Amino acid sequence: MAHPLAAIVLQVEDLHVSYGNFTAVRNISFDVRAGEIFGLLGPNGAGKTSTLSAVEGLLQPQSGRVTVAGYDVKEKPLHARANLGVQLQATNFQPELTVAEILQLYAGIHGVPLTKEKLQQILASIKLEDAAKKRFGQLSGGQQQRVSLIIAMIHNPQLVLLDEPTTGLDPQSRRQLWERMEGLRDNNHAILLTTHSMEEAEAVCDRIAIIDHGKIIAIDTPQTLIDTHRHDPEVISVSRKGKITLEDVFIGLTGRTVRS
Amino acid sequence: MISTNIPANKTVLLSLLRADFTTQWRNRRSVILILLIPVIILISWKGLVLKLGGAFVLSNCITIGLNAIGLMGYSNAIARDRDKGIFQRLRVAPLTAWSIMVSRLTVQLVMILLVTTAVFAGGYFADNILLTPAGYLVGFVMAFVGGAVYLGLGQAIVGLVKNAETVNAVTRLVYFLFIMVGMFAELGALGNIVSNAAKWSPYGTVKHILSAGMQPATWNQHSTMALLATIGYALVFSALGIKWFKWTSK
Repeated sequence: MAHPLAAIVLQVEDLHVSYGNFTAVRNISFDVRAGEIFGLLGPNGAGKTSTLSAVEGLLQPQSGRVTVAGYDVKEKPLHARANLGVQLQATNFQPELTVAEILQLYAGIHGVPLTKEKLQQILASIKLEDAAKKRFGQLSGGQQQRVSLIIAMIHNPQLVLLDEPTTGLDPQSRRQLWERMEGLRDNNHAILLTTHSMEEAEAVCDRIAIIDHGKIIAIDTPQTLIDTHRHDPEVISVSRKGKITLEDVFIGLTGRTVRS
Repeated sequence: MISTNIPANKTVLLSLLRADFTTQWRNRRSVILILLIPVIILISWKGLVLKLGGAFVLSNCITIGLNAIGLMGYSNAIARDRDKGIFQRLRVAPLTAWSIMVSRLTVQLVMILLVTTAVFAGGYFADNILLTPAGYLVGFVMAFVGGAVYLGLGQAIVGLVKNAETVNAVTRLVYFLFIMVGMFAELGALGNIVSNAAKWSPYGTVKHILSAGMQPATWNQHSTMALLATIGYALVFSALGIKWFKWTSK
């Protein structure tokens, strides 16, 4: 867990996002510190994606302030994004390009020199030495996630956003990705992770914010959240094995109703 | 606040251009198709060269090629990349939005150059059509001006229609309509009213400035009006395309 005095890398203050009459995010505030994995959990449509989009600078919030490494996302978008590494949920690379070409593209647009040797080193670090000339679509799901993560990290950013990175991965690939996340944390990177897997959140997150209907309804360490809510009637009623888990707390707080 | 270096625009643009040209090269089947259609029409119209003139035939073929670039190639590539989230992935990097589009458009400018060169070369070798150096030069300039109309129109369609498959269908329809109405109306097959309307349509004005540009001596007031109309179309379509365009289809 990050030291309480560790530098704040991401600061979200009173963020408010709405689309027409629909309010997606209602004045939420949180911060992520260097050396911390911070989980943003919520049911579908709770406001996670809008929050991430505001952090990425892809949407203009109605009010509030987001800073990355001290740079205001609105006033200094390029500086903020230069300190930001993003792994989006879907594969978002030109299918015609090879892995090496995608790495060269993203190194180039981040101003990172990439020699052939460096490229091979990067691919070796994710055990994809032979994949340089393969198209991204030819890789397995786990390999694609490894490439996406290494691209997010190619410029050594202060903050890494991981949007449901383990969706669709087998247990081995998932464990490997957790280890990589922990490696990033050990190297003092701040990580903002969204996930629907409570097991994942419990396993890797230092702190968690549960967001629902655009509001943060709980924010703390996974264990503290469990301890705080273990006697809530709603949490006990959804418990399945007699032992209260983070998933029980999550469902207890956000309700049983399936969101579209 | 951490000291942060923003990559130079030149570095960013070079990286984007390399990726975009590589993507275009890997899609060379569609590139070849875009190049072949006007050249095949050119060869099949061999008999019309003497009757209608070399510039008429060349300008029709180039206009068809420009249509294909803007409506089939560019718009569909933009719609697909938007659908796949490729733009959103690029936009979270420290680069400006305009650099993404400048790179994409540069590839299309090279395509315009290729199509025009292919038609000029085809005209020379297949139909013995030889223009003056000024005719070739002004022909290239007019091809870029005309190409801007269809790139703008393609951009406007992508702005108006969100779904990539619908964009594909709409652009094919517009492409087909432009070419069919433009060609047949000009030959008088659709009556005087349609013929006059087609003359001032984006197809007609582009075709006219190309034809007149290839024979600078024949440039007249109608040509100037057609050029102004073409520039107007390019500006209006581009403005609408920029206004309507969303980086994500969601």
